Amino acid sequence: MATANEPPTQSSDDENPGPLERWTVGVVNDPDKRSRLYRALFYVACGFFLVTTLFPFYWLLVLALTPNAAILSGDWEVTLPIVGTELPFPTPQGFNVSAFVEVFQQVPFHLYVFNSFVLATVTTVIVIVLASLAGYVFGRLEFPGRGLLMLAVLAISYFPPAAFLIPLFDAFLGNAVVVPFLGIELFAPPRLVNTPGSMIMPFSALFLPLAIFILTTFYSQIPDGLEDAARVEGTTRLGALFRVIMPLSAPGVATAAVLTFIAVYNEYFFSSIMALQNEPNQWSPLVGGILSYQTQYTTDFNLMAAASIVGVLPMLILVVVAQEKIVSGLTEGALKE
Amino acid sequence: MARVTLEHVTKRYEDIVAVDDMNLEIEDGEFVCLVGPSGCGKSTTMETIAGLTKPTEGTVRIGDADVTTLPPKDRGVSMVFQNIALFPHMDVYDNISFGLRLRDYDKEEIDRRVDRAADIVQLEGMLDREPNELSGGQQQRVAIARAIVREPAVFLMDEPLANLDAKLRVHMRTELQRLHKQLDTTIIYVTHDQAEAMTMSDRIAVINDGRLQQIAPPLTCYNEPANLFVAGFIGSPSMNFVNGDLANDGLRTDHYDLEFDPAAFPLEGIDEVTAGIRPEDIYLERNTESVVDPSATIEATTDVLEPMGDEIFVYLSLDGSSAEMMTSDEASTASNQLLMSVDPDETIEADQQVSIVLDRSKVHLFDAASGEAITHGVADESVHEAPTADAEGGATEVESGGQRD
Repeated sequence: MATANEPPTQSSDDENPGPLERWTVGVVNDPDKRSRLYRALFYVACGFFLVTTLFPFYWLLVLALTPNAAILSGDWEVTLPIVGTELPFPTPQGFNVSAFVEVFQQVPFHLYVFNSFVLATVTTVIVIVLASLAGYVFGRLEFPGRGLLMLAVLAISYFPPAAFLIPLFDAFLGNAVVVPFLGIELFAPPRLVNTPGSMIMPFSALFLPLAIFILTTFYSQIPDGLEDAARVEGTTRLGALFRVIMPLSAPGVATAAVLTFIAVYNEYFFSSIMALQNEPNQWSPLVGGILSYQTQYTTDFNLMAAASIVGVLPMLILVVVAQEKIVSGLTEGALKE
Repeated sequence: MARVTLEHVTKRYEDIVAVDDMNLEIEDGEFVCLVGPSGCGKSTTMETIAGLTKPTEGTVRIGDADVTTLPPKDRGVSMVFQNIALFPHMDVYDNISFGLRLRDYDKEEIDRRVDRAADIVQLEGMLDREPNELSGGQQQRVAIARAIVREPAVFLMDEPLANLDAKLRVHMRTELQRLHKQLDTTIIYVTHDQAEAMTMSDRIAVINDGRLQQIAPPLTCYNEPANLFVAGFIGSPSMNFVNGDLANDGLRTDHYDLEFDPAAFPLEGIDEVTAGIRPEDIYLERNTESVVDPSATIEATTDVLEPMGDEIFVYLSLDGSSAEMMTSDEASTASNQLLMSVDPDETIEADQQVSIVLDRSKVHLFDAASGEAITHGVADESVHEAPTADAEGGATEVESGGQRD
């Protein structure tokens, strides 16, 4: 950067400062240079994030458009000359748009997407309703043991999900729940494997703590007067929660909902086990659908890539829509009370 | 339209008693102010009436019904809050009609009532605005419209004017009085501003430390305060207090004596007496023609003058010391200080020797230990008919004298 017009304020014992030192002094003393440096750093950081997040999508697109045979045998040695070195920069080896149609022909991919969508929607609704109740209690009521309970929720949220898997699978198969060591049968649960219940229940439990924490913070910030006003005007505490507190906490509710929805939509670990076979009618999710292009002998990389893109689209739309809501909610919140 | 009765209402929190054995009886159509310093329990009292807080003990009645355990929505009350508490995500129409919509009124009825309420508080043409587009006074009017639209039996106001600027506050004060006349509903109004309480209410309930000190018409509270707290709280600047010992011919204080016949008052068992006199009941000796029953002359030095325009407050020093660094409250309780108010035309300067007299018919005597009032006016009964003493318990209603309505 500019080193020419450096102010001559340096102490005289530093006879010949090096270029780096001169530049540093310039940045420290000259607001112009400083803002130029900040802008440069900003672009570098932005560029880094854009490349790391967008390149995988580009790579998916490249793979989806390249016929499968070309993927396996193709020439991926394309490079992009950048300042002296050459960066590998793959481009599509062909233009096979039909992969996006084939995705639905080979397996009923839309059913897998539907499964994930239903699981995510139902889980989100359950999580938001339950976390709202919990968030209201933790955020707005004073009662003995509140801190302890909150801590318990936090502690449980740190348990690895895998720890719950085997007992849950055992129970969802319809086996009787037995008290350990005593051998006393408590009850025989219904056989839930291959049904949405076996997935929605553990998902809801797993994603509740995060939603509770988000909503607790938001609900606790709504002025007491508004809730009191609603209650005097004719709502119950619950009515005040859903009619006043929740709408005013829209950004928080949207954040919790989007996080839960995306997490469940992407989920594979639980659902791959609770759906006994990778079949859409056994409520196998999206990721299961993508994996079903892989058989014992063949792997259709181009279809897997195309399916991934198709699967991401609903998410993309949702996030864009929700983001608008979140942003509008935030600016509205800033203007009021 | 309903009377509100509080019977032995007590609210205890873990560490404090916010309301202590409160007994209140508020008549149908009455405008009652609950007034007291911050943290005295007046807002908690109101919340127990609204149902936002459940009392630890005691019963709350609205009309003939015991509402102690009813949720707020079933009590037939509406409330205006200090922070206004309009729902920011609804426009003015939705805010006003919120309670009606919850009660499933039909659309036409809602429209009719909202229009009327908006008309009463002069909000026509603003129904589709958002609360944040309104000024403070307009927001407060929306809150009042929201409260009156349901035609509640009791109207609760929790310092509704506290967040408004001084000019608007005076304006809204008049509007509230007009509203009370128009609606004729029971209004319970919480404020810490004794001027608001004095100007608006039919009766004032003075509360301190969670206890009812006195409930009486404003002028009764002013002229015949039931105890030291009421005497000091009502009136601005506050009453001068001085502690003294009883003698056969009156009261001896550090700097002056007050002559009266102690036998005329119920003073048995009382060792120390606090005398109280309001600033406007102290006169310069040269103006004593109007005083019915002047005390002996007291010599004093003027200290600080506060010209208010319509009167001048004069801080008097009785021993030559200055009241530097004292607030008017501290000065009013210091035995060597007196605060008097004089006519604005009076020629008076700082650091001037003056002779003053007290109007003995306006001197209040209090039991210094309990704070209870002993008598209001120590004038000689042969000269002037002294008002009857109201030395009843702090929580009893003082009915004599003063004016009602």
